[in-house]
This record gives sequence, structure tokens and C-alpha cells, in this order.
Amino acid sequence: MRYAEFTWFDLVLLAQGLGVTLGLFLATSLIGLLVGSAWAVIRFYRVPVLTQVVTFLAELLKNSPVLVQLFLIFFGVPAFFRINLTPVDAALITLSGNTAAFVYVIAVSAIESIGRDQVEAARVFGLSRWQVLRHVIAPQALAFSIGPLTGLLVNQLQVTSLISVIGVLDLAKIGNILNLRTLKPFIVWTAVGLLYYLAAKAIAYLGARAERRLRAHSAWKGL
Amino acid sequence: MRFDLSILLPHLGFLLEGAVLTAQACALALLGSFVLGALVATAITSASAVLRRLAAAYVDVFRNIPFLVQLFFFYYGLPELGIYLDAFATGVLALSIAGGAFSSDVIRAGILAIEPGIIEAAQVSGLSRAKTFTKIVLPIALRTSVRPLGSVFINLILTSSILSTITLNELTGSAKIVASDTFRPFEVYFVLLVAYAVLTWAVSIGIGLLHRRLNRDMMEQVS
Repeated sequence: MRYAEFTWFDLVLLAQGLGVTLGLFLATSLIGLLVGSAWAVIRFYRVPVLTQVVTFLAELLKNSPVLVQLFLIFFGVPAFFRINLTPVDAALITLSGNTAAFVYVIAVSAIESIGRDQVEAARVFGLSRWQVLRHVIAPQALAFSIGPLTGLLVNQLQVTSLISVIGVLDLAKIGNILNLRTLKPFIVWTAVGLLYYLAAKAIAYLGARAERRLRAHSAWKGL
Repeated sequence: MRFDLSILLPHLGFLLEGAVLTAQACALALLGSFVLGALVATAITSASAVLRRLAAAYVDVFRNIPFLVQLFFFYYGLPELGIYLDAFATGVLALSIAGGAFSSDVIRAGILAIEPGIIEAAQVSGLSRAKTFTKIVLPIALRTSVRPLGSVFINLILTSSILSTITLNELTGSAKIVASDTFRPFEVYFVLLVAYAVLTWAVSIGIGLLHRRLNRDMMEQVS
């Protein structure tokens, strides 16, 4: 017997898929933000060798398809180094690395957007390089980069759909399963697309709110 | 295990065939997304509120839904409407539609960046509205947006790897076959990653040169 009709349980499945997608999205975004910022700090301190390595790595990750990165981590690395990786591990590593590469680019341009005179003034007042980074550069760089970061996160949410290819049961994979069972592609993919769309809109909304909050100090307050 | 690239030598011809298919799909999709993008950008900057609303909705939907979901929607959904396309045609169609949403944004920005004085001068000279648009506005807008269009195109190349999920054996698809033939996924996907990075790097250099060539008489404004 084949269950070709939609059942109420399909909604639970969709919700589960959405949960997996959002969970992995949040986790990889957080790790990516941390790693990408760390790379930018390495560049800020002009650490020899490491700076070049990080720049090269970021370029490589930015300029290659995420699908190929996923295959390299999920199929290539376990075969070559003889270790075990679950699909979720591979997805976490790949998506975090990919997000980090783009965060690095945004963070570097945000740091460079702050005038040299500010840094020099702070140094003249006797602040250490770390204090300059912590109290002068970071707050302004964050306000500068929150816009591009929101755009990046909306994009990365869509990139998470690729992990369905290596077998993670995310929203796109659930869509695939429902599609093959019911053979009603229009309804299934419209529903899945709508859920992704709403999630993307929610991220954009939260990003816009955070931007208003961070830019409040320079907003026009009236006379 | 030893890192040995020579096992790939017998499969180079096969991979090259995949690369040719990728190039064909990307070239067709570039053309499609460019035409679509220009049309949508025209609609979005037009005086008609209905056209503006429709064009904005198109861009919003196709930018906020993952390409994988769009691709499956077309691949499984079109046959249900009685439209039978092979994987290649479906892939090019989906790439064009998704790319059109991104390139229309770029071209729109190019149109909005034109000085009002230029348009006023055209009106004063007695050019009709259609003539002003096709002979004055579009050439300037397209010329200045070559570089951002180039990054949309590079994204298109990277996105084309997703076409391997609908049984199209382009570069990533054929690499998958080689990986399962040789049992050496690490080497195969590593080479593939580097190949994509080199390819997009070469394309971005080419776009930079094209941008300089097209804007050679106004270099100080746009460089």
C-alpha cells in the first residue's frame, strides 16, 4: 500500500525539516561569525604567514561551489584521512567555513572603513593595539557591517538547502521525500519555498532592527 | 593514503566534456538572465505602478528561495503542466530565471545612477521616451554595471554546480562519476575545487578588462 495522499503528519515533517534547517543555520552562522572575525583580527595584527594563509583560504572558499566543498568534506576527507563523518558533521564544517570566508571579507572592509586618524589618535592617547580594536574599531565596524552581514545571512540560509544532497534531513530533503511520495510537486515545492521565504524575511527583518539599534547613536535627533 | 593526482589522468577527457557542458549551460543562462534582468530592471524603473509591483515581487521571490528548491519546482513541476523539457533545458531555464532576479537589481542600480541632467538633455533635444531609454539610458546603465554583472555571472557559474542534482552531468556531475569510479573522492573534489576557483578567477580578470575597455572614455569617473 502506498500513501499517496497528504496527511496531517506531513506538517510535522515539514516543521521538523524547518527546525533542522534553522538549527544548522544558527549554529553555522555563529561559528562562521566567530571564525571569520578571528581571521580578520589575524589580518588586523598583520601576523606573518597566517595572514597570507587566511586570505588564500577565504579566496578559495569564496570562489568555489558550496556543493563541491560539501562533497570534498563528506566524501573526500573520510576516505583520505580514514575518519568517520556524519552528514551533519560535514554540513556543520562546510557551512561554517563558507560563512567564515564571507564574514572575513565583510569584517576586513569594515575595519578598513574606519579612518586611520582615529586609530592614530587612540594610539597617541596610549591605548594598546588590543584596546584600539576593542573600544574604537569594533563598535563602529559592527555598525558598518550589520547591513552586509544581514544580506550574507539571508544568502547562507538558502545555501543550507544544499546539505540535503548529502542526506541531512533538512527542509529541502523533506520536500524531496514528500514530492516522491505524493507526486504533487507544485504543492510540495510551493510549501517548502514559502517556508524558506518566510524564514529569509524574518532574518532580514531582525537584521534591519539590529541595524537601527546599532546606528541609533548617529541618528538625526532633531534640534 | 598518498595524495596522488596521476590517477585522474585517464579521466581528464571525461571531466573536460563535463566542463564543456557547464560552459554551455552558463553561456545560455548568462544570455537569458541578462535579457530577463534588463527587462525586469526596465519594468522596475518604469512609471507604471503595476509593472513596478510585479517586477519587485519577481525579484523578491526568486532572491529569497533557495536555488535548489526553484530547480526542483521546475524539474518536477513542469512535466505536470505538460511541458516536457530535458535536464539541460530545465537547468538553463531555472538558472536564467534566478540569475535574472540578481542581474535586474544590478541593472536597476545602473539606471538609477544616471544623472538626471543627461535624461533632461535628451528630452530637450526632442527624443521620444522610448528613444531616450534605448539609446541613452540603457547603454550608460549597462556599461557602468559590467563589473557587478560580472560578479552575478561568477555566482551563476558556481550555482551551475547544483544542476548536477537533476541528473545533468556537467563538471560537478561528471566529477561525481569519476570519484565513484576511482574510489579517490579526495583528489577528485580537491582538483574540482581548485579548477572552479581558477575558472572564476580568470573570469573575474576578464570582466575587469572588459569593464576598463567599455568605460575607457570615462575612466576617472568609474575606476
